[in-house]
Amino acid sequence: MKEIAFYGKGGIGKSTISANIAAALSLLDKKALQIGCDPKHDSTRLLLGGQQITTVLDYLKTTNPLAYRLEDILFHGFNGIGCIEAGGPEPGIGCAGRGILSTFELLNRLSLKKHTYDFILYDVLGDVVCGGFAVPIRREYADEIYIVTSGEYMSLYAANNILRGIRNYDDQKKRVAGLIFNQRNIQKEIYRVEAFAEAVGLPICGYIPRDETFALSEKAGKTLVEGFPDSPLRDTFRDLAQQMLTDIPLYEAKPLTDALLEEAVLEIKKQPFSHNIAIKQPPIKENTEVIISSEGIDIQNPNGFLSKNIISQEPLHGCAFNGAATMSVHVKDAIVIGHGPKSCCHISYQGISSAGRRNLFERGSLLPVPIAPNLVSSMMDESIMVFGGIDLLREKIQEMKKYHPKAILLLSTCPAGIIGDDLSQMEAFSEPGLPVIPIATEGNLSGDYLQGMILSYLTIAEKLIQRDVPQIPDCVNIVFEKVVAKNTTQNFSVIKGLLEPLGIKINCRYLCETNVSEIQNFMAAPLNLLAHKDYMGRMMEKFFQDTYQAVFLDVPFPIGFYESKIWLSKVASFFGKGTLINETIVMHEEIFQREIQRLKPILKGKKLMIITYNHQIDWILEVALALEMDIVKIGILNFSQDDLFITRFADQFPLVENYDQQQRTEDVQTLKPDILLSNYTSSDLDPCVLFDTIPYCPDVGFLSGLVLAKRWARLLQLNLQEGWRKDEVLFQKYYSR
Amino acid sequence: MKFYSRNITADSLTGAVFALEGIRRSAVIMNAPTGCKFYHSAISDNQYPRQISFDPLNYPETFYFGQPRVPCTYLDSYDYVYGSKDKLNALLDFIHGEDYALVAIVNSPGAALIGDDLEGIARAKLPHTPLLVIENPGFSQSFYKGFQDTLQALLKNLPLVKGLKKKNSINLIGISIFNKYYRGDIEEIERLLKLCGIETNCVLCADTSLDDLRRIPQAALNVILYPELGLDIARYLEEAYGMPYFLFDKGLPIGFDLTEAFLSGVCEKLYGDALPTDEGLKDQQSSFTMELEKARVDAYLHLSRIHSLTGLPRGVTFSVEALSSSLYAYTDFFLNYLGMIPNAIDHIKDDPCLFTDKLRTLLEKHHLEQGLHQSVYEAESDLVFSNGSTIAQLKLKGHAFSGIEIELPSLGYIDVFPKTHLGIKGSLLLVEQILNGMNFS
Repeated sequence: MKEIAFYGKGGIGKSTISANIAAALSLLDKKALQIGCDPKHDSTRLLLGGQQITTVLDYLKTTNPLAYRLEDILFHGFNGIGCIEAGGPEPGIGCAGRGILSTFELLNRLSLKKHTYDFILYDVLGDVVCGGFAVPIRREYADEIYIVTSGEYMSLYAANNILRGIRNYDDQKKRVAGLIFNQRNIQKEIYRVEAFAEAVGLPICGYIPRDETFALSEKAGKTLVEGFPDSPLRDTFRDLAQQMLTDIPLYEAKPLTDALLEEAVLEIKKQPFSHNIAIKQPPIKENTEVIISSEGIDIQNPNGFLSKNIISQEPLHGCAFNGAATMSVHVKDAIVIGHGPKSCCHISYQGISSAGRRNLFERGSLLPVPIAPNLVSSMMDESIMVFGGIDLLREKIQEMKKYHPKAILLLSTCPAGIIGDDLSQMEAFSEPGLPVIPIATEGNLSGDYLQGMILSYLTIAEKLIQRDVPQIPDCVNIVFEKVVAKNTTQNFSVIKGLLEPLGIKINCRYLCETNVSEIQNFMAAPLNLLAHKDYMGRMMEKFFQDTYQAVFLDVPFPIGFYESKIWLSKVASFFGKGTLINETIVMHEEIFQREIQRLKPILKGKKLMIITYNHQIDWILEVALALEMDIVKIGILNFSQDDLFITRFADQFPLVENYDQQQRTEDVQTLKPDILLSNYTSSDLDPCVLFDTIPYCPDVGFLSGLVLAKRWARLLQLNLQEGWRKDEVLFQKYYSR
Repeated sequence: MKFYSRNITADSLTGAVFALEGIRRSAVIMNAPTGCKFYHSAISDNQYPRQISFDPLNYPETFYFGQPRVPCTYLDSYDYVYGSKDKLNALLDFIHGEDYALVAIVNSPGAALIGDDLEGIARAKLPHTPLLVIENPGFSQSFYKGFQDTLQALLKNLPLVKGLKKKNSINLIGISIFNKYYRGDIEEIERLLKLCGIETNCVLCADTSLDDLRRIPQAALNVILYPELGLDIARYLEEAYGMPYFLFDKGLPIGFDLTEAFLSGVCEKLYGDALPTDEGLKDQQSSFTMELEKARVDAYLHLSRIHSLTGLPRGVTFSVEALSSSLYAYTDFFLNYLGMIPNAIDHIKDDPCLFTDKLRTLLEKHHLEQGLHQSVYEAESDLVFSNGSTIAQLKLKGHAFSGIEIELPSLGYIDVFPKTHLGIKGSLLLVEQILNGMNFS
């Protein structure tokens, strides 16, 4: 397959020429696909009888990611030619370059190139104005580049700029096939174009004369090749198509300076300007070898690893950059570089470190990662936004290598994504024992916070986990601890405390307070323990099962008595140590029953209502039911992190999923609960109701539910309204903010 | 691997947001993804609480995402291509923008690249509401630049009311709700000025009403508090409105001596060569002097007792990480008043270094200039004055010291009672914190 890009000034006739070449190729029995990369989305019109088609960007806007299908955006026109239009915003709105980037991301995800085309033709808007429009000339797309030009000044200026854009990506590589001269019949036109061709060292591959047959065929909604089979111009396109079938010589992009272009080619004599103004040139790229990302896990598979936010097409909660940063810093001996403005890293750094600071303040705990996350910013500034930030990122990588990290992880922000900085090039700076791992989060362009976590989990696994590591007996991996939760360390200690009597060690905590070596040896553990089995947890479990045939315990970290008993039994059984746990279970069962009997006189018959984001609350329900409380309603709120409410106590209480918060006040008035549990308390509810909170991430272990029940009992026995609550009147009276 | 990523400080985006969040009854909208919104809302609400509950019922998912402050347009990849007009219009409808004293819209760095006409969109929706749009919040520029640029844009945008000059009235320029102790700072400086017979006309910009801002030209003098947050604004007001300003040549009023010098400087600038002869005013100024002297006595009592027992605080080593104006003032107090020895005097990143030369001169006088070349991470001091992040990292490194927070981010202490390190109260608090932080063994 050969991929060919047509560039040139807007309105120069690229679409007409590329469509005619596509038609000519098809008549030579070649399977061709034309991709229009212009917001006007009329590149393929002549191949489709004048019809307009659904553009990729319109499709992206209206379609659930799980429903993406190539056939919805790939149409077929004259002689079976494939037609795709990127589309884009109205003039003056949004960012068309970003639209091109989004289009190519989708085409990659839909594996367009697995379709057996002989030729893909990219018809690209005008000048190379930003990284978005440069996408087709990045190496993984165009093999050959043709520049369409007339002899008009602006057209040749544009042609020269395009050569500059190509040089920025290629340096001295040869990819330019030549010029296609679309004549306008203006004065000295042939001289100018030929002089330009000679000056930049390119051949003129085709001369397209100005001819009214083009206008007539366009009026008919056809290419000239299709509509006027007897026209001699048809031979011109056939010749161009045949040229493309052969291995013609390709040329390096050698743009002219503006002065040379104007004086030698355009014959413009400039008047000297009275002020000496130094013009800062964009940095010239060094010759760097670019490597294309290795074949590996298809982490962009739309049917695989997407967050709930993306699939549900909900507003994105947080950004992928932040999610990936939060996870990536847990590879303790790696350095994470955030490619973007400082603000992005500032926000992530403060989010990550707030838990570390608070843990130190409240409990004196020194948690290495949250206190000192190895996150730095590439500090993109205004000029980088214009000229691109790849050089800056490369410098930052070299700077960080001085600290001898075991890996360098690269994350991109929205601005880096919008201007089209391509992080994958940076893998070339890997060294033995020092992988450079790009994670293309692009701020929130790739999705929400959870999507960033997913990208981080999957990419780091793909790049670091070694499959041929021998297994070590009696050890486990822990997968998907919630690193920002307050009780992560405490929960880990509880789990470790349950495993230690069985002689089971922790091999790797993926990704929590771990390091490159532990991740590389991930496969050494015969069993994996999932910390949370919510939407993300289930996805991680599936990923490791499918990709590494990893064995998982089928239940997550246990919360409450029943789950702890089952979890411990299963772990012990897996390692053939079932007899070692009986004493532990018996001891906790005695405590549990004793406490239930002690609390029952206070809580029995009390009405309990729960409105929560938590989708797994059996640890509360088992205690409430054991205490013979009356569960009057459970309202499960829509939550960005989960979508599957599971209970073993189904039908024992009224349950409303996707509970509407607005219903709360009325429900409280009608049902008159004694205790209302939620994730937040509210001051505007009936003071007769005991309103208490439940944590998003509960403590693990046998007694989690009991701890809450003891608190309810104590609060009910207190039976008072705190004095401060009465001061709401004063607050309303005096507070003026 | 030996690497510690130092605390990543806020940049101009945060500077812009917090300049505007300091205004009462303002709606500060971020035309941004939620990733930019959550942090700013959390810190703003924490520093300048205006709501009594976090109940998500009060702050819906769309636009507010369960938080009380900084609604946002939750931009996603489609909006970067097609523009943010629809979401911005929906947001303005939702929040009833016309009910606010000021509606401000701040682009995120990503949104700034798109170039949507936010002003045009918002003006069509809110023809009569004061409106400010920050289309370019800057990329990796300093917090201080973002803060001052934004407030200058606001001052240019508002019709300021010249009116009659209020004698003995000043504006306090250069303080933000992002300052750790901004409430206590303002209260203390206003109180001390009042003791000298000076009224505060407007504070730029923390817990400030739009009406106060409009009245800025009516003050007789602009007094710069934190120079990095106020000097450019004061210069603008001088140029545009002919308002004189007072820049304290020793940075900040920290410690008894600098507090006295600061107040003297303000009075001198306000009254010129002819200090007031008015008896009432003289009484007021003497009451300031009396309070200062009493505070010095309180400090003296405690310092003398501890000193007689331990010889401290003389010779206690300290590190400070801050802006140069704070560095100078803290160092002056700790060195000249308490006899402590500076190990590391470390500028935070982005510091415009307005007082670095002066600081060098101060240290050279005592042959202590090496402190300027020492990182707070490398020096081992008895006391460290810094932000919570640096203090936590030094603890993690195993340094043995007492950490005293002077900037955000905090370790987590919730201040109910306003505190300050400025003025008389601030000097006493510092003495108290130092005495309690020293190692007596």
